[in-house]
Amino acid sequence: MKTRKRIGGIIYHVIVCGLGLIMIYPLVWMIMSSFKESNTIFTSAGQLIPKKFVFANYATGWRGFAKTGFIVFFKNSMFIAIVATFGTVFSSAFVAYGLARCKFFGRKFLFVAMLLSMMLPAQVLMIPQFLWYQKLGWVGSYRPLIVPYYFAIQGFFIYLMINFIDGIPRELDEAAKIDGCSYYSIFARIVLPLITPALITASIFSFMWRWDDFLSALLYINESAKYPVSLALKLFCDPGSSSDYGAMFAMATLSIMPAVIIFISLQKYLVEGISTSGLKG
Amino acid sequence: MKKKIALLMSCCMAAASLAGCGGSSATATTAATQAPATTQAATTAPSKEASGGSGDVKLTMSWWGNQVRNERTQAALDLYSEQNKGVTIEGQFSEWSDYWNKLATSAAGQSIPDLVQMDYMYIDQYVKNSLLVDLKPYIEKGALDVSSISENTMASGTVDGGIYAICAGINSPAMMYNKTLLDKNGITVKDYMTIDDFEAVSRQVYEKTGYKTSIVYGTAQTYLDYFMRAYDVVLFGDKKMGGKAEDYIPFFQMYETGLKEGWLIDPGVYAEISIGSVEQDPLVNGSSPETMSWCAFANSNQLTAVQNAAPEGVTIGMTTWPSPDPKKSGYLKSSQFFSVGAHTKNPDEAVKVLNYLVNSSDANNILLGERGVPASSKIAQELSPKMDAINQEIIRYINEVVTPNSSPINPPQPDGASEVFNLLNQVQEQLCYGTFDAKAAAEEFFNGANKIMSQK
Amino acid sequence: MKEKKRESFRHFMNRESTAGFVFSLPFSIGFLMFMVVPMGLSLYYSFCDYNILAPPVFVGMKNYIKMFTDDPVFLKTIGVTFYFAFVSVPMRLVFALIVALILFKTTKATAFYRAAYYLPSIIGGSVAVAILWKRIFATDGVVNQLLRIIGIKTSFPWLGNVNTAIWTLIILAVWQFGSSMLIFLSSLKQIPVTLYEAARVDGANRFSQFFKITLPLLTPTIFFNLVMQTINGFLAFTQCFIITQGKPLNSTLFYTVYMYKQSFEFYNTGYGAALAWIMLGIIGLITLILFATKKFWVYTEGV
Repeated sequence: MKTRKRIGGIIYHVIVCGLGLIMIYPLVWMIMSSFKESNTIFTSAGQLIPKKFVFANYATGWRGFAKTGFIVFFKNSMFIAIVATFGTVFSSAFVAYGLARCKFFGRKFLFVAMLLSMMLPAQVLMIPQFLWYQKLGWVGSYRPLIVPYYFAIQGFFIYLMINFIDGIPRELDEAAKIDGCSYYSIFARIVLPLITPALITASIFSFMWRWDDFLSALLYINESAKYPVSLALKLFCDPGSSSDYGAMFAMATLSIMPAVIIFISLQKYLVEGISTSGLKG
Repeated sequence: MKKKIALLMSCCMAAASLAGCGGSSATATTAATQAPATTQAATTAPSKEASGGSGDVKLTMSWWGNQVRNERTQAALDLYSEQNKGVTIEGQFSEWSDYWNKLATSAAGQSIPDLVQMDYMYIDQYVKNSLLVDLKPYIEKGALDVSSISENTMASGTVDGGIYAICAGINSPAMMYNKTLLDKNGITVKDYMTIDDFEAVSRQVYEKTGYKTSIVYGTAQTYLDYFMRAYDVVLFGDKKMGGKAEDYIPFFQMYETGLKEGWLIDPGVYAEISIGSVEQDPLVNGSSPETMSWCAFANSNQLTAVQNAAPEGVTIGMTTWPSPDPKKSGYLKSSQFFSVGAHTKNPDEAVKVLNYLVNSSDANNILLGERGVPASSKIAQELSPKMDAINQEIIRYINEVVTPNSSPINPPQPDGASEVFNLLNQVQEQLCYGTFDAKAAAEEFFNGANKIMSQK
Repeated sequence: MKEKKRESFRHFMNRESTAGFVFSLPFSIGFLMFMVVPMGLSLYYSFCDYNILAPPVFVGMKNYIKMFTDDPVFLKTIGVTFYFAFVSVPMRLVFALIVALILFKTTKATAFYRAAYYLPSIIGGSVAVAILWKRIFATDGVVNQLLRIIGIKTSFPWLGNVNTAIWTLIILAVWQFGSSMLIFLSSLKQIPVTLYEAARVDGANRFSQFFKITLPLLTPTIFFNLVMQTINGFLAFTQCFIITQGKPLNSTLFYTVYMYKQSFEFYNTGYGAALAWIMLGIIGLITLILFATKKFWVYTEGV
C-alpha cells in the first residue's frame, strides 16, 4: 500500500514536472534570449542557450530613453497597478455583495449592464473614451488609469465575486441578522473574510492586467517620464529602422518579475486554509 | 494641466461663438477651427512677454522612433531650451503604429502636439482636415529659413499650394542586397536595373546559390507606385485609380514569372516573421537559402539598420529598385517630416523650433542625420565629414545615383489609400498562393481599388 | 427625538432594498460616468461616416447595410472567430479544470508547479511571445524537429498553411489557461471539507466523491468560466494581432482585428463601430443562450 502510494507520488511529480517544463519553456527562452547579443537573437532563435552570455542588453535597456531611466517606468507601473488593483478589488466586492444578497429595484438591470459592458471590444471605445476624459480634463494624468477602477468598472470582477458570495451558505447571513448585524457589518465581518480566495484571485488578475495595459497609457499619458513599463517596452522597436530586441527582451524579462513574485507570494492563501482544516490528499 | 484645459475650453467656446455669430456658410466654420489657434496665440504671446522673465512657454513635440532617435532628439530639444530660456519642449515618443493611433485620437480631441513628426503616407489626410499649420506665411516672414533646401525636397511637403511640412531627412527607395553572396558567385548588380535585368539576376542567384528573391511581400504599395511611374501612371486619381487594369499586369507578371521559375520566395516564409521588421527580413534572417532572399526592397536611410542586422561577414550593397524604366521611376522623398500642429497655442515659437531643427548646426550635430540626409544642403555638407562610412555611402547614393535621375514624387496618397493598399497586398498574397494569375490579379486589384476610391 | 430619527435612519439604511442600492452605488455611478457616454458615442458613430480626423457625419444604416451586402471579409472573419471560440474555449476550460484538480493537492512543490502553469498567462501577449510562437511553428521550428525525432520527416509550414495557421492561435489560447485555472483553484478551496469527511464515513471512494461533491459544487464556477471565456473568445484580439495579422489569406483574421483595421488603419471608424455593435449582439445572444441552459446543469442550492 505504502509503496503503491509512493510510486503514485513519483508518477504525479514526473507528469506535473514534465508538463510544467513545456509551460515555462517560453519564459526560459525569453530569459536566455535576453543574454544573447542583440543582433543574433533572430539568427540564433532556434538555440536555447546563448553562445556567449552578455549582460549589455540589461545595461542598455536599464538606461531607458532620453533622460528617463527604466526604473522610473517600473515605479510608475507599480503605482498604477497597485492603486488601481486596490480600488477594483474592494469596489467589486462591495457591489457584488449587493447584487448577490439584496433584492432591490433595478438589480436585474444592473446585472445585465455589467454583462453588456464586457461585450463591447475595448478598441472601439478608445476614441469615445478619450473624448470623454478630455472633457473631464483628465488627459495627461493618471486619473483615467485609476479612478474608474474605484467604481467597479470591470464587470468581470463583480461577476467573479457574486459567484463566490453565492457559494457562502445563506444561513450564515440569517444567523448574523438575528444577532442584530446590519447588511454592512455582515459584509465586512462575514462575507469579506470568507471570500478571501476570490479577493486574492482578483488581486492577482487585476495587478497583472493593469501592469500589462498599454492602450490607455498610450492615449492618456503624454509625458514620457510618466510612462508605465508596458508602454516603454514598445519603444525599443522601430519597424522603419533598427530595433534593439536584446534590450527589449531584457526589460521584458524584468517586467514580468513583479507579477511572478506577487503570484508566488499570494497563491499560498489559496492553499493554507485547506491544510489547516485537515483535508488529506 | 488644468490651466491648459481651461484655455482650450475657452478657446473652443470662442470658436463656437464665432461660428455662431458670423458664419452661416460651411466655409466659415472650417475657417473658424483654424482661426482661434492663431488669435489665441496672438493674445497669449504678448501677455507672456509682459509677465517678464518667468514667461515660460511649454511646447510638446511628438515622434516615433527607437532608442537612438529618442535620445538624440530630446537632447537637441534640451539644447534649444538652454539657448532659449523660458522655453521647455517636452518630447513624446511612441512606437510607429502606436504613434498614429495616438495622433489620430488627439486629432479627434483637437489636441495634437505643437510639433509633430509626419509621414508622407498620412500628410494628405492631416492637411485636408486642417490639422497642420501652413508654414508658407512663416517662410515669407523669414521666420523659417528654407533657402538651403532644394525645390524638389520642399515639393514633397506641399499640399494644394500650402507648405505643411519640412523634410526631416532626405531619403530614396533603395534595394539592399547581399553583396558578399553575389561577389562570391561572380554576379554583378548594376544601378538602374530594369525588370528584365532583375529577373535575370534572380534566376542566376537561384541557380548558383539556391537563394531566392523576396519582392515587397505585404508591403507592395510603395513599389507599385514606383513601378507605375515608369508608365506615367499615377496610382490615385480623383476618386479613382490611375491607368487601366491592363497597365497593372506587368507588376503582377513579375510574381507569376518568379513563381513559375521557382526563384520567388515561398509566401509561407513571411508567415513566420514580422513583416516590415528589418531584423527579420529574409535578406538577413533565415535558416537556409530556401527561406532567404538575396535582396530586400527598402529605403536608403535603412542601410545602417540592415547592415547591423546582417550576419557577421556579410556586406550589404545598395542600388536602385528595379523598374521598367528606372530613370523615370526614381524620386527623392522625405523619410520623415516635421510639421506644426494646428492646435498649438504658440505657432511662432513652434516654427522657431522647427527652424532650429532644420538649420542649426548645433542641433544637427546632435541628430547626426539619423532620420536621413539633412534637408538643408548646407547642413548636409557640414555634417558629412563627421559621418561614418555607411552614412557617407547613403549620401553618395542620394547625391550621385538618385538625384541626377529623379523626378518629383507623386502627390501624397488620398483618403482610402490604406484600404487600397490592403487590397493590393491581399491580391498579391492570393497570387502567390496560386489563386490568381497576373491578369486576374490586375483586374481584381484595379476593380476593387476603383470601388473603394469611388466611395470616398 | 433626534435619537428616534437616527434610529429610523438606521432602520431605513438596513432595509434590503436600500442596502442593495447602496452596495451597487459604485457600479451605478461608474457605469453612468465611464461607460454610458463612451458606449453611446460609439453607437452613434456606427450610424456615421467617421474617419477620426474629421467630425462624424450621420448616414443612417449605411454601415450596417454594407456589412451584410458588400463585405465578404466580414463574413469570413465571423467564420474564423466562431471557429476559434468554439474550439479554444472548451479546450481551455477542460485543461484548466484538470490542471486545477491536479494542483489542488498540496505538496511542498505546489507553489512552484502553480507558478509554472500560471506563467504563460503572465507573459500574455508580449512581443516575445509573438516571436517565440512563430519560431516554434516555423518550418525548421521545434514542432517539426520533434516530429522528426519520432520519425516523421517534415518541414510543414504550420503558419503558412491556410488550414493549420488558425490552430497555432488556438494552441496559444489553450496554453494560456492560467486565469480559469486560478478561479477553479480558489473555488475548490471554498468547498467545505466536512462534506468530504461525511462522504468518507459513508464509504464513498475518490471517484464518487468527485462526481457527487466536487463536480456539482463546481458547476457555478464552470458556468462562470464558460460565460467569461466565451465572451473573451469572441473578443480575442492579441493572438491574431501580434502573431498572424490574419495571414495567410485571412484564414486567421479575428473579427476584432478586422474591426481595428477598419477603424485605425483604413480610418473607417464609423464602420468599425458598427462592426463592434454587431459583435455585441452576437455575444449577447450566445450569453443569453448559455444563461437559458443554466437551470439544467448548474447546481444553485446553497450548501
